[in-house]
Amino acid sequence: MTQTNTTLAPSSPLSLIAELTHRCPLHCLYCSNPIEMQKAESELSTEDWRRVFQQAAQMGVLHLHLTGGEPLARRDLPELIRAGREAGLYVNMITSGVGLTEDRLAMLVEVGLEHLQLSFQDLDEVSANHIAGTRAHAIKLALVPVLKRFPLAFTINLVVHRMNLDRLEEFIALAELLNPDRLEIAHVQYYGWALKNRSLLMPTEEQVQRSLPIVEAAKERLKGKIHLEAVFPDYFGSFPKACVGGWGRQMMLIDPAGQALPCHSAAVIPELQFDNVREHDLAWIWQSSSAFQRFRGDAWMSDTCLACPRKERDFGGCRCQAFMLTGDPDAIDPVCSYSPHHGLLKNLRVSQPETLPIWRG
Amino acid sequence: MDLNSTPRLAPGCRLHPTENVLLIPEGTLNLTGPTREILTRLDGSKNVTEVVTELLQEYAGADVIKVQGDVLSVLNRLAQRGIVRA
Repeated sequence: MTQTNTTLAPSSPLSLIAELTHRCPLHCLYCSNPIEMQKAESELSTEDWRRVFQQAAQMGVLHLHLTGGEPLARRDLPELIRAGREAGLYVNMITSGVGLTEDRLAMLVEVGLEHLQLSFQDLDEVSANHIAGTRAHAIKLALVPVLKRFPLAFTINLVVHRMNLDRLEEFIALAELLNPDRLEIAHVQYYGWALKNRSLLMPTEEQVQRSLPIVEAAKERLKGKIHLEAVFPDYFGSFPKACVGGWGRQMMLIDPAGQALPCHSAAVIPELQFDNVREHDLAWIWQSSSAFQRFRGDAWMSDTCLACPRKERDFGGCRCQAFMLTGDPDAIDPVCSYSPHHGLLKNLRVSQPETLPIWRG
Repeated sequence: MDLNSTPRLAPGCRLHPTENVLLIPEGTLNLTGPTREILTRLDGSKNVTEVVTELLQEYAGADVIKVQGDVLSVLNRLAQRGIVRA
């Protein structure tokens, strides 16, 4: 297998994830934010974000995902949405809905919000609030009929794990009742806070097997009504996921302090140096930042991956996962059955004794 | 979806102003053939027959039945994905 030119970057990512703040009223057990969160004082200014959105659109980015933490914690959120739209980007917001009144939503839609994503922690209030570490479930439920009155695409995200997977059918039924345009059923991915709580959240093999036909049946039943997308738990697979569509290929994440990351959890890999949008423009970062170059292409890959045709589909799997499970960021993603560490997952998949939850700070 | 339906793009779906793509939640659709020409005409007031009439003015000599069939097939496909609503 010949090595392709490994340093050539695609001309632009397709989407920009803007982590506007790490402040959040929720404390979910599986939050994807890093354990070391950025403080409010270090957050980018409105002007910084406006410049970033313009640079993103100029280089060819199409989608802007405003997330956090909780984007509503930013008082300048309407200005940021407007700045995204004025730059020419499609604006999506991922929110807990906590603090979103009808008036505030009307303002956000007015300035250009196009898609809103709301996640549910469970179908039962006590359990949902336990997982979120706060009383958010009733607020979310009450928000949905309000949302439906606005010209806005609406996605519900059901986050599933050991504690709720047995009630998936009822969970989907709740989502159907709320009638979103899109429904995502996403297994917890074990990064950030979720990794700390892995032994509590990891479903059993039986749970996963039972859930698969339920998801397929829902897809069939909802066809033409609700678009359903499901994220399979990769610990149970034989081949790795194409994590973020391949390192430095499709997406760029800007954290609250302006650091540009190739994915949500890239900061776990100790050797990576991130460049900041306060010092560099986005096009330079995309093309030249060492963190984006580090796993681009296939020069870093093991001989096993280099010889494998699947590298064109999964791009070598997830670098963060490889590092977290083996200590080596260049290792084959242990999810892959060709990995010498694949046996690790067999142990991790076994149901662990109940441990105490650790809520996100 | 039939000739009397009045389709429109679903909320959160819009044509990119310059690129030949449709922006949708969490993605983009590359537009092929006359799809963009069809979608630009969906204003929530024209029905499918009226859209076809407009397209026939653009493409003189095209077969009415074939254009009707093509337009309905594009719209039905997009309706299945929730991108177009009648």
